[in-house]
Amino acid sequence: MSKPYTLQELLVIAVAKEIHDHENVILGVGLPTTAGAVAKALYAPHATLMMESGIIDFEPLLPLNHIADAHSCRGFSYATDLFSAFTMTYRGFVDVCFLGVGQVDKYGNLNTTAIGDYYKPTMRLPGSGGAADFISYAKRTVLTMLGGSFVNKLDYFTSPGYLDGGESRDKSGLFPKGTGPTMLLSTKGVFRFDPVTKEMYLAQIHPRVTIEDVKKDVPWDLKIAPDLSETPRPTDEEIDFIRCFAPAMSAGRELSMELTIVNMMKMLKA
Amino acid sequence: MVDVNSKVMSAKEAINKFVHDGDALVIGNYTVGSCAELVYEVIRQGRKGLTLYSQSGIFDVETIVGAGCVDRLVTTYCLRAGGRKGGSAVERGLNAGTLELEDYTNFQYNARLMAGMHGFSYIQVLEGAMVTDLFKKRSFMGEDKFRVIKCPYTGKDHLTVPAANPDVCIVHVQRCDKFGNAQYWGALGSVAAAALASKRIVVSCEEIVEHDVIQSSPHLTLIPAYRVDAVVEVPWGANPTEVLGYYNMDQFMYGLFMMADGTADGLKAWMDEWVFGCENRAAYIDHYIQKFGSKVLDGIRAKAFYSAPANYGSAFTSRWDREGKERNMGMTLPEFEQTLKERGKLYE
Repeated sequence: MSKPYTLQELLVIAVAKEIHDHENVILGVGLPTTAGAVAKALYAPHATLMMESGIIDFEPLLPLNHIADAHSCRGFSYATDLFSAFTMTYRGFVDVCFLGVGQVDKYGNLNTTAIGDYYKPTMRLPGSGGAADFISYAKRTVLTMLGGSFVNKLDYFTSPGYLDGGESRDKSGLFPKGTGPTMLLSTKGVFRFDPVTKEMYLAQIHPRVTIEDVKKDVPWDLKIAPDLSETPRPTDEEIDFIRCFAPAMSAGRELSMELTIVNMMKMLKA
Repeated sequence: MVDVNSKVMSAKEAINKFVHDGDALVIGNYTVGSCAELVYEVIRQGRKGLTLYSQSGIFDVETIVGAGCVDRLVTTYCLRAGGRKGGSAVERGLNAGTLELEDYTNFQYNARLMAGMHGFSYIQVLEGAMVTDLFKKRSFMGEDKFRVIKCPYTGKDHLTVPAANPDVCIVHVQRCDKFGNAQYWGALGSVAAAALASKRIVVSCEEIVEHDVIQSSPHLTLIPAYRVDAVVEVPWGANPTEVLGYYNMDQFMYGLFMMADGTADGLKAWMDEWVFGCENRAAYIDHYIQKFGSKVLDGIRAKAFYSAPANYGSAFTSRWDREGKERNMGMTLPEFEQTLKERGKLYE
């Protein structure tokens, strides 16, 4: 049995395993960055890590602050621009990318733009950024959902998953065949997409979570894999790497923010 | 002696001269190294009715929108302070009806500037977005947000966006000469396209360098002098964002901003202190150090990691060899002139 781990450490490892050696990988901010660093260090030494701002082939020394962060590495191999980072994706040179989720429907279509009315939003989310174009043309897309929600109908359709399911994405003629979301990670489990219907189902469940816990967040009748397994706990090596590389990631956003604010207040008083 | 041709001036002078009410203004930087001091100067001078282009709205967009300078925003990404419970100046503006927003993807936004930079009237973008609400829901761009055309070669439907040629670009770079040759390196983003698509360009830089520094590293020049209207030297000009080779992101100052930005009152109080309360960047840094000491700023200064120099050398020979003979024709200058005369090539 490995040493005690945090939920975020388990999540990072689940995402890191989606990066295979020799792949071209577009990293998003937050959890995927740490996952990319773990993968590069432990399982995929030949992966080419990329940021959409045009920083190509880097080895992270620190967790990235954002997707234009050349301060988190000591140099990199190829400096290009954002335009070329997307045209190389369009041409099929990106194997896997990672996107966050505000709302997601059963076919992996995403909203990261607005909750409520688009023009007078209850909550304005970031917007597309690179998301709509990456999920259209990367060979695989991994969705990470830490705070978002499952819905029957998106408030705003930002990024295309499998559209209406079945063959609708491939038949639209707008996307390279076989592309689309391949996995969604939530704080409760790992979801994948049925090869025929393209409907999202529960493939793995995190330790200490029940199927009922997962189902209560999902407004449709969620299907469960017949061979449902438990998400493996991280190894000591993986835990040590994450804690050293990105301690705030181990703590999770809420706790690390709380500790940071307490520390800032101390500095402000001093 | 005053160089009357110099474009070097203060931020105050540059914004006063080149950014006007009602302009389409583009923030040239993308996520990193934002031209904070130029943005703050636009705010201090109280510009109104701007159409703001920003590839990725961070504290820069929040402050300029929060200050009421902007009627229309074209962007791909909006910052939100404080997660679900928090908010943003953009969200408050949309709900108050004081701000209109046109959403694009990163690529579409960049493509509009790329078309503008190269003088095209439109450009093809990636067709997958046709199924999304980015395509279907439109704000002030209306019909002209996107148009679909038939490719004359393949017959396929192509999604296109119109070129953007903003009136003025404000942009921060590492270094520049007094003529305006602006060098920038790191995450190239859409910096060149934003600047070169624009009619006027105001560059701020960490330092003004001699022209020969530029001449020996032209691969780093993103914006050439002949396009630049003003050069403003502003050390720490991008704080709280980072400038590669100069300083890291200032997470302390960014934290202060993020704690304030969730509410209109919070943002106003923060701007009263850090934008309106400091007449220029030097005053801002003085105030910062007076209030918090120099520990934070000292802690984020970059250590050097120099690029290997590229050799721009050549044999540096003239056409005449050591014996004074032309290298191909093998004759001295008098012999050559004699030949020109003999062949009837010279006119009296």
